[in-house]
Amino acid sequence: MPVGLHYMSALAAAHFTPLFLVAAGGGNGDHGGTPHLPSLVWILHELGILPGGAYRWATLWVDIVFALLIAVFFTIVVTRVYRKRQLIPRPLQNFIEMLVEGMYNFLYTILGKDARKYTPFLGTLFFYILAMNWIGLIPGGHSPSTSLNITASLAIMVFLYAQYTGVRRLGILGYIDHMAGEPRGVITWCMVPLLFPLHLIGELAKPFSLALRLFGNITGEDVLIAVFVGLGIACLSFMNSPVGLPLHLPFIFLGMLLSTIQALVFTLLSTIYILMMLPHEEHGH
Amino acid sequence: MEYQTMLAWAAPIAVGLAAIGSGLGIGRAVGSAMEAIGRQPEAAAKIQTAMIIGAAFIEALTIYVFIVFIMLNGKIGAH
Repeated sequence: MPVGLHYMSALAAAHFTPLFLVAAGGGNGDHGGTPHLPSLVWILHELGILPGGAYRWATLWVDIVFALLIAVFFTIVVTRVYRKRQLIPRPLQNFIEMLVEGMYNFLYTILGKDARKYTPFLGTLFFYILAMNWIGLIPGGHSPSTSLNITASLAIMVFLYAQYTGVRRLGILGYIDHMAGEPRGVITWCMVPLLFPLHLIGELAKPFSLALRLFGNITGEDVLIAVFVGLGIACLSFMNSPVGLPLHLPFIFLGMLLSTIQALVFTLLSTIYILMMLPHEEHGH
Repeated sequence: MEYQTMLAWAAPIAVGLAAIGSGLGIGRAVGSAMEAIGRQPEAAAKIQTAMIIGAAFIEALTIYVFIVFIMLNGKIGAH
């Protein structure tokens, strides 16, 4: 299989045009044997814009580069809308307001009246993860979510924010009380040595599952698309054609759906973790 | 049997077993969702949302196995 990939990448490079090429695993090679599509960094390197040293640097930091690109784009759009906001909104402001209000309404059904305070964090989380997932589906783009570093850092942020919310809203004693399963009677006091480690391990497992779920889903979808792109090139390679069939098209649509679902699940789980830390009357522990 | 052979046998079977498990689980979840929509078609949107979220949870277990497979994949055939 590696021989086939090298052949295909050599073929693609030989017939390279500055238009978006359907190439599989081109210059970047594969990390750990899994094929993936080349990103804008490789395309710029092939065009000669990125010399050797800068290309090596960019390949190492490609996830951070794309993540920063998305963050800067969001910041520019939102600050521009905010500075020039009017009572009767113009189109872009209307669109942003629609997104924010939709997020707030969705979080209201879960968090209740606390939604106002947590909408900024959770809303940004949702749209950031959504943009990160979707940018990998554009030709030349690379999902930062395929890197465990990015997903783990987001999961750790959520974990720390939830614990901080718990300590702030419940007080430090209330937080420990919550972790111990809220002992009230003799029986619940005797169960504290059982419940306390259980809750602790449960809390620690949450960022792991968040990070691995997002990472695994997006990497899997990336590898799926790359494999079908390779197949599409290989099926027309008998006549030395520079392009292949777009066999990966249905998987792009599947990828769009799954990316949205994964962003939604990440945000929803973060909301529920924060909800569990807020004081609530009925306790279904 | 040597290590490489066992690894090359075990890793794909693991993914297959995980796929069976999640297939059964998601089948049950989606089946219940379909029944619920059949009983009350006007609640279809809420039921569908809950179904998608539940399916994502069940799918996550298969994804964990997939990650283990990726980690072991490089070790097959690499001495």
